[in-house]
Amino acid sequence: MTEEFHELTLTVNGKRVQRRVPARLLLSDFLRQDLHLTGTHVGCEHGVCGTCTVSVNGKCTRSCLTFAIQLQGCEVSTVESVGTLQKMHPLQKAFWEKHGLQCGFCTPGMLMTAMELLAENHAPTREQIADAISGNLCRCTGYETIIDAITAAAAEMREMETQA
Amino acid sequence: MNTRYIPDLEIPAPRREKSPDVDLRWIGKSMKRVEDPRLLTGKGKYLDDVVLPNMAHAALLRSPHAHARIKSIDTSKARDLPGVICVVTGHEFAETTGPTVTFASPPVVQHAIAVDKVRYVGEAVAAVVAESRYIAEDALELIEVEYEKLPVISDITQQEFASGDAVLHPERGENNVAMDRTFTFGPVDDDFARADHVIKRRLRWGRSSAQPMETVGAVADFDAGTGKFNVHCNTSMYTYVGWLCAVSLNVPATHLNIIPTLAGGSFGSKLFLHRAIVLTAGLARIAGCPVKYMEDRLDNLSNNDAHGSDRLYDAELALAKDGTMLALRYRVWDDYGAYLQFGYGTHGNAFSQIVGPYRINSVQARITAVLSNKCQQGAYRGFGSEVTNFVLERMTDAAARELGIDGVELRRHNLIRPDEFPYIIPSGNVYDSGNYPAVLEEGLRLFDMEGWKRKQAQAKAEGRHIGIGLVSCQERSVFSATEFWSLNPPDQPGFPLTSSPESLAIRLDPTGKVFVQLNAPFWGNSPETMVTQIVAEALTVEPSDVSVGYVDTDAGFNGTGPGGSRFTVMVAGAAVKGVRTLREKLYRFAAHMLECSVDDLELRDGKVGVKGVNGLEKSIAEVAGAAHYFRLNFPQDPGFDSGLETTAVYDHPLTTMPAPDRSHLGIFYPIMGHMVHAAAVEVDPKTGKVKILDYVAVHDCGTVVNPMTLAGHVRGGAVQGIGTALYEHIGYDAEGQLLTGSFADYHIPSVHEAPAHIRVGHVSTPSPYTEYGIKGGGEGGRMAAPPLIVQAVENALQDYGVQLSEVPLTPRRLREIVREATSR
Amino acid sequence: MKPAPFHYVRPETLEDALSDLARHPGEARIIAGGQSLVAMMNLRLAHPELLVDINGLQELDYHRVDSDMLCIGALARHAALAASPLVQKVAPLMSAAYPHVAHSAVRNRGTLAGNLCHADPASEMPAVMLALDARFRARSVKGDREIAATDFFLGPYTTALAEDEMLVEIRVPVRQCGYGFEEVSIRQGDFALTLVAATLSLQAGRVHAASIAYAGVEGNALRIASAEKLLIGEVPSDALFERVAAEAANVIQPGDDMHADAAYRLDMIRTLTPRALRSAAATA
Repeated sequence: MTEEFHELTLTVNGKRVQRRVPARLLLSDFLRQDLHLTGTHVGCEHGVCGTCTVSVNGKCTRSCLTFAIQLQGCEVSTVESVGTLQKMHPLQKAFWEKHGLQCGFCTPGMLMTAMELLAENHAPTREQIADAISGNLCRCTGYETIIDAITAAAAEMREMETQA
Repeated sequence: MNTRYIPDLEIPAPRREKSPDVDLRWIGKSMKRVEDPRLLTGKGKYLDDVVLPNMAHAALLRSPHAHARIKSIDTSKARDLPGVICVVTGHEFAETTGPTVTFASPPVVQHAIAVDKVRYVGEAVAAVVAESRYIAEDALELIEVEYEKLPVISDITQQEFASGDAVLHPERGENNVAMDRTFTFGPVDDDFARADHVIKRRLRWGRSSAQPMETVGAVADFDAGTGKFNVHCNTSMYTYVGWLCAVSLNVPATHLNIIPTLAGGSFGSKLFLHRAIVLTAGLARIAGCPVKYMEDRLDNLSNNDAHGSDRLYDAELALAKDGTMLALRYRVWDDYGAYLQFGYGTHGNAFSQIVGPYRINSVQARITAVLSNKCQQGAYRGFGSEVTNFVLERMTDAAARELGIDGVELRRHNLIRPDEFPYIIPSGNVYDSGNYPAVLEEGLRLFDMEGWKRKQAQAKAEGRHIGIGLVSCQERSVFSATEFWSLNPPDQPGFPLTSSPESLAIRLDPTGKVFVQLNAPFWGNSPETMVTQIVAEALTVEPSDVSVGYVDTDAGFNGTGPGGSRFTVMVAGAAVKGVRTLREKLYRFAAHMLECSVDDLELRDGKVGVKGVNGLEKSIAEVAGAAHYFRLNFPQDPGFDSGLETTAVYDHPLTTMPAPDRSHLGIFYPIMGHMVHAAAVEVDPKTGKVKILDYVAVHDCGTVVNPMTLAGHVRGGAVQGIGTALYEHIGYDAEGQLLTGSFADYHIPSVHEAPAHIRVGHVSTPSPYTEYGIKGGGEGGRMAAPPLIVQAVENALQDYGVQLSEVPLTPRRLREIVREATSR
Repeated sequence: MKPAPFHYVRPETLEDALSDLARHPGEARIIAGGQSLVAMMNLRLAHPELLVDINGLQELDYHRVDSDMLCIGALARHAALAASPLVQKVAPLMSAAYPHVAHSAVRNRGTLAGNLCHADPASEMPAVMLALDARFRARSVKGDREIAATDFFLGPYTTALAEDEMLVEIRVPVRQCGYGFEEVSIRQGDFALTLVAATLSLQAGRVHAASIAYAGVEGNALRIASAEKLLIGEVPSDALFERVAAEAANVIQPGDDMHADAAYRLDMIRTLTPRALRSAAATA
């Protein structure tokens, strides 16, 4: 069978994107190769490790289990939208402070998962954080400092909210 | 009567500049990592992020059979698929590219793409290069291979009886035994003869795999105009033996440049990657365009360098009636898989700490290294020593049980004493420093052993099964090169190299900023942060004044790379040496500018100043500016030539040769860390499930550069060890079919399997041999957790009277053991 | 691991989706959440020629109670059902099982209907549906029919759906009863090595109705009628539950795989059944 192409229009990190893509192009490859957003990483391509996690219409999604063409009209956010070197998100600052990463490969997926959690739950317990990241594998840290980081970020975000 | 056998060797004197008992400003700080901002913002450049113009993608056809002759390969349909650039079989590849490197002697020949025979499920049979990985995988399905299946022997103890077609490498031997040799260190027979107790156990260490989140990859570009390869790869040891890849590619070493990238974890599995480099480069040459090969997860599980040790031990420990350990003797079968890229290094590694922290007098080991139809072993955190830690601690626990002595007390009784260092062990290696009783005390205190014993008793009354464990283990650091070949036959050592240096280039720019270039990569260790802290310390500058980068092999210089917990110690040595050279030149210029003698000068707070005279000083920036731009202000002497830069090569601080007859292996891994891990677990004997209730790890890694990053390795390593103990198994069936070919079946611990809180403690006995007394600590956690978990689970099930002798202890296996115990 | 090429359509109505299925019998697959299907396609274990993407059929994303039936549409996501107070109220066995179902990102996109049609033998929801006596509405261009959950799961990855049929609605009878869910898996969220889903209702202290479903043990989720019968009319007790467990272990013939052998699964049947029944009795 030959490759079948489709028109695709969607929003990625706030920018409208229009492309012609093969039906079978995975969202992970679309983001990394077509849009050069290499912050999203690929670990297993069968939906177990969570490294490829991005946000689709505000919900965490494994980009290796999604075809790009399924997201017509959708809003996709990747780690590149979370913060920058000059303006880090409290989550990124907290991961940095608390040593919530070593090799950094699982980190974008962890950050996206944490973003979804903190949007829904401003004061998660450590158990709730663990449940939220249970589908994100990390081979380096042993997870404890990741939970420390998310806990600290939640506290800082609550503080910022009170001040605002 | 405690005769102590000491091999006849001399310990060279230490040669180091920085002792640990100085006021340290940056070393010892839990500084935030320099590497993190780009990783946190999605800007880290890993291998798959490397994109070259006109780059094509490779995919490998993997063998579905564990052992078979390749009778024919028809690639015509694959080649005709639109988008396919070329399809290459093993024979075709071998026309331009030779076998890949091996440390084994005699060698075991391996090709990046199998020639004539496949020897494990997953071995590459052909490669497709296409415009996309999607198309390449389409083409794989069109390749037609005719196989003639050959017999497979799966029992590790039966490989010595393999014959005929069951032999994997008939040119190398009559059966599948690669080596069967006995090493004797000290008066083992006498020690066993005088023993009051001999404890015997059969112990099985199952095969697990490093499985970092990022797989292996390479991007190769062959410049047809110059005949030179440029290869990006997430490899670790590219500067050490990268030139051997050039040999495989049939080009001079000047025509292969290897460029490191960030690596998303390695744990040893990305140590070398010669096959990925040679494969991708060879394909780029054939295809006429740059080629990327990125392992997918199936490749990384089946056809990779990530598998760890796979061993069966018959072990014996001889003790006196008061519990004094006298001697250790074992026979080990190690299933190396189909090839032997690292030789028997994993057993040499084990010999570096083969008596553990105990005053065992003699050791004898019969090592039977077998080849089999499995993926070959690579390197996985511990490199064979985590296995002997398991053996030692299981034997100690067995001895405690049989002698009726408390396990902690038995350990304490046998610990090497603080006044005995440097301590030479029977195999010839040296333990440079240590205070094992102090680590034990701190472990007991932090864990609250008495408190847990009370909780255990309470739980027992409630019908719950809580188990407590404590292990004391060594973590050697900074390997020497002799480890690679000292176990090869003395008359056929292979390449008996003795250098394992590390280097860096360091310079001060005209504004006084420091630029350091490393030729070892980042893979989750913290090389930039380590170097920043050490250079800032040695040069008395701020960490923000230091920039660290990585060079390729063209620009690079002597180095070995990270691994074996060596990097921080070695790069500290190179940093101190490099700073010394720069400092000498800074002093020369400053002495002229300040009109004093160089002996009057010191570095303080980023300035060069006269000792004892505040205010009589110049900032490093001023001196640097002068050194760069104002040659004529200074004397003719070449010592004042412009510039402030140097390359510093630091050799291993303490290595000696093995004895010619291998009655000892010399000093080869002497920077010796030590740890006590303790845990409380709860076991459900009905389901075989284990929950970890509490976990403590006390480490002595000498002077610690960054306690926060060290604790990260301890915790992460411990969780990997928990995976090894309870969850992870690379399983092959009797036909050699890989049963754990995806993450659905290979169970890496998630957050729920990790202890909620690992309390990390530190004791510090600095090394007398390294700069600042630093010791390596990167592997530690994984080297203690497996025996600890098994001990604790055994303790939890003590009412069933079970003896646990293997890892992994999956729910199915634990339940089986309990069921057998209750039916007796 | 990349999937093989396929044709893709995204119908705007249910009728269009059903026509697509009818036109390509045996070659078309519905994709909703894709959490099972895409993984299999990436591994090249599945090669549908046509993917019919029903994510545009928003009217199928619902769950509501209608005349004593919890009605769940084809596009209802696991996450919504797991978090739903309505489901907790009328079908608490589902809520109890959901923490064991994969992980949050999978539950965000994955649908209950998709999971049931995938029919993995170690998945939680098929057993839960069996225990709840759910009924499934299948539709094709030819019309509707209702299939009892007990008739739906035919074997590993095999359901009673015809090639041109789509599961459009799941209907769970709302009953007042106790519930119990027990699972053993290697890690939390993994497929079950063995799981038990049970319901119990009591009248005057005796068991009036009971259902016990298992998964992870044989080729598909199953109920054990002979074990259930042992409960009827009896007063709940540990001894009774042990007998029920023994009967189930007698009837079920578990398979062996790398992670658990038959002996282990039989042990789990014997261990988990009483635990599930105790919970069910306590909540009845």
